[in-house]
Amino acid sequence: MEIVVCVKPVPEAETRLRVASDGTTFDPEGVKFVLAGYDESAVEQALLLKEATPGSRVHVVSAGPSPRTEEVLRASIALGCDQATFVELPASSSTDPVTIARALASAIAKAPHDLVLCGKQAGDDEAGLVAAALGELLGVPDFGYVVDLRWDPASSHLKFQRSSEAGQEIWEAPLPCVIGLQQAWNDPRTAKLPMILKSRKAPIAKVAPGGAPSPPPASRPERFELPPPRLGAKLIEFKTPQEAAEKLVKILREEAKVFP
Amino acid sequence: MTSGALVVGEVHDGHLSSASREAIGVARGVLAPSDPVVGFVAGAAGPTAAAEFAQLGVGRVLHAADPRLDAAPVGAVAHAVATAARAAGVSLVVAGGTTFGRDLVARLAVRWDAAVATGVIELTRDGGTLRARRSVFGGRASETRRLEGERAAVAVRPHAFPAPADGPVPLALEPVPTDDLPAVLVAPLRREIRPPDGGTGPSLTDAAIIVSGGRGVRGPNEFRIVEELAASLGAAVGASRAVTDAGWRPTSFQVGQTGKAVSPQLYIALGISGAIQHLVGMVSSRVIVAINTDATAPIFKVADYGIVGDLFEIVPALTAEVRRVRGL
Amino acid sequence: MARKFARAEMAPHAAECDKAARFPEEIYRKAFDLGLMNLNVPSELGGSGLSLFDQCLIVEELAYACGGMTTSIIANCLALEPILLGGSPEQQARVLKPFCASYHLASFCLTEPSGGSDAGSLRTRARRDGDHYVLDGEKCFITNAPHASLYTVFATLDPSLRHRGITAFMVPRTAEGLTPGKDEEKMGHRASSTSTVRFDKVRVDVGDRLGADGEGFSIAMRTLDQTRTPIGALATGIAQAALDHAAAYALKRESFGKPIAEHQAIQIKLANMAQAVQAARLLTWHSAWTIDGGKKGTLESSIAKCFASDAALHVADEAIQTFGGYGYMKEYPVEKLLRDAKLTQIYEGANEIQRTVIARELLRDYA
Repeated sequence: MEIVVCVKPVPEAETRLRVASDGTTFDPEGVKFVLAGYDESAVEQALLLKEATPGSRVHVVSAGPSPRTEEVLRASIALGCDQATFVELPASSSTDPVTIARALASAIAKAPHDLVLCGKQAGDDEAGLVAAALGELLGVPDFGYVVDLRWDPASSHLKFQRSSEAGQEIWEAPLPCVIGLQQAWNDPRTAKLPMILKSRKAPIAKVAPGGAPSPPPASRPERFELPPPRLGAKLIEFKTPQEAAEKLVKILREEAKVFP
Repeated sequence: MTSGALVVGEVHDGHLSSASREAIGVARGVLAPSDPVVGFVAGAAGPTAAAEFAQLGVGRVLHAADPRLDAAPVGAVAHAVATAARAAGVSLVVAGGTTFGRDLVARLAVRWDAAVATGVIELTRDGGTLRARRSVFGGRASETRRLEGERAAVAVRPHAFPAPADGPVPLALEPVPTDDLPAVLVAPLRREIRPPDGGTGPSLTDAAIIVSGGRGVRGPNEFRIVEELAASLGAAVGASRAVTDAGWRPTSFQVGQTGKAVSPQLYIALGISGAIQHLVGMVSSRVIVAINTDATAPIFKVADYGIVGDLFEIVPALTAEVRRVRGL
Repeated sequence: MARKFARAEMAPHAAECDKAARFPEEIYRKAFDLGLMNLNVPSELGGSGLSLFDQCLIVEELAYACGGMTTSIIANCLALEPILLGGSPEQQARVLKPFCASYHLASFCLTEPSGGSDAGSLRTRARRDGDHYVLDGEKCFITNAPHASLYTVFATLDPSLRHRGITAFMVPRTAEGLTPGKDEEKMGHRASSTSTVRFDKVRVDVGDRLGADGEGFSIAMRTLDQTRTPIGALATGIAQAALDHAAAYALKRESFGKPIAEHQAIQIKLANMAQAVQAARLLTWHSAWTIDGGKKGTLESSIAKCFASDAALHVADEAIQTFGGYGYMKEYPVEKLLRDAKLTQIYEGANEIQRTVIARELLRDYA
């Protein structure tokens, strides 16, 4: 099976966010970019499927600015991906998920792809758009929030569950399709040092975005704001648990207005 | 961008979902009073949902009746929505930001060539420019995006907007042709749906109120007091990673960086210290209440209200008081 | 990757292993699985083959989480270095390949009850007997000794020759007469295991001698030339942890109406601590670059080890002071850092000896 996994560089979770000088996005100065958490699960799933299905290969693709994008590609190679493709995009258009999807699609369409795996959303913009947009661009179905993905060679179908508001949906789908994985339900492996060292020298194919000229991004970030600092909890004074309960319910009903 | 909007009607439990209802209000909020708002429904449940659209003031509803759409993946429905949007001549599609709605607008961005935004918490129009504000970085920041071009498709965050207050109008149901639906988009098969883990409560990502327990709850049996408080509030039940790692509740309960990201109206954290990995999963909740014996726990920095005390004494009292006030 | 491992796997158990003096073999096995052991062994022989600089980056991250666990993890590098420096290609392939292929621990046996700094005066005897040497004597304060499967041992053919008689040997755990002692109760590095090793007529094949007769002292000194730098990194890791704890605490703790971080006394303390940590790190890196560039680096590595270990002790001390009474309580993490920092001034060449080495190297330039 030819498995393609799409990854994205995102600021690491502990980053202290600052607004950029033009006010439209966050300040990337000093920010450490890492493989998005959901993408770690996608890479892990790709590798598990490869290990379960002899003759499979994992091709990792990412679209974004240099050097953070090559770095996450190398991190994916260190985990065990067989080949990597980098589609370079300027930082300005990397904020538009549809542009990213188009860039990824142009690279994926040129290579063999039976299954395309993505993390469902990334920890930065959390748009969750790429997997579905990729499905539309490649002309195949997409499924988001997938957990528990398995390939059944007997029926030549992918069997999986997805979490939705309705509950756990059980699906079967033929290939090709795009799957957007839920995070961390599989236990992503940690790259071992020898693989990390080898990944430093691994080749990464670089392709220009798109065959036909891509339309300009239709959604542009205009303003990036940090919320006003939370002042900390108003502590409720009480002498008995009963008093605490009564005061809290009153606050929730009258002041916060969130009581059902 | 003023030639009307199409609101996608999603069906939950046989009815038009609350997220879809909220979407109606959002659409009205950016249109001129004379611009039409049209509804879209699909499959066998379509007519029921359409009637509910009409109850909320949306009389013209396009119905893609093709039975294949009942259990089809979102790509097939997006195909039909694009056809409907073109037929209705609208320039805006609004959907509730559910797992379905978000994927739907993503596909529309390509199929219908539209600017797209998901998780929208504020949608405004200024002349011809549509702006969407959304929460990013786990609720630690927000961005406002300008949606350019002639068409836009947005998915709005559930529970962030009020339901519309318009009165009922007569229903006019119109069919949407789907003969050009590609076979590949309907080939996948949905075999069944199992209700969410944790039994009868709402699912975490959908809930307006969540009660969550952490290490301070001490054990799997004691965790029941979290569930009892949740039941009294009609809330979903969540847990910190410490709880799911310890096996006290399944991983599906986990809220946090490696679990689910939630944004309810009210989040009650019991015995949760507030490590950053948990906070990024719930900090965008509208109101946060924390109960913990440790006054220095980081959770009190992000909570709006806090009780420093023993949750084993406070929570049962709270559950009793909630039941009393709600007449349960 | 090292940081992720250190913070996720080592740090959560550091306090518990320190309290109980537990040797967390399961953590060491995980470190081995991820390739964090045997860093100095070339990759053809099964190690990670890292430059000294890369080793320093890893060692600092591990030590940030726990100095004791780091000592045990990098003890292999110390023990295997004599084989890399003094062993023949045949010996290296025969011994190191299987050693590095799966989880094993090794111990470097130089120190004796009557001689640590004065290594030239060691008394463990090696007597030639046909195709064998027979080892008799006792080593002490040997890291990993109770758990090791391989020992690199320094013994003398003739005490009157002092350092010229010292010869290096590889001895497997299975050798008859080799007995590791009981785990010592230590002030710090309690997750690491330290004990005596007794040699009672231990027969070592001549093929397991490293280098020539009398070359042992030179091998030992050249080994320490290599290992001083990572110890500087270890000390830096402890110092950084102490600084981070102190700074975070200073922002939260209030006295006289404001966070103590706003009091000048604390600010000056933190500033001095930060200077010490950065200097320790850069001296260590400078030493690593110098040696990676092919130079001997004795001066640079002695300065790095000496400065960084003194800095770690001082920074940990100031961190406890910043915490005040809480710093003195075992419930808080800083007192452990002081206990762990202390050893870095003593082992791998006591700082007094480092100073004489520095002086000697320095004056050579002026002679």
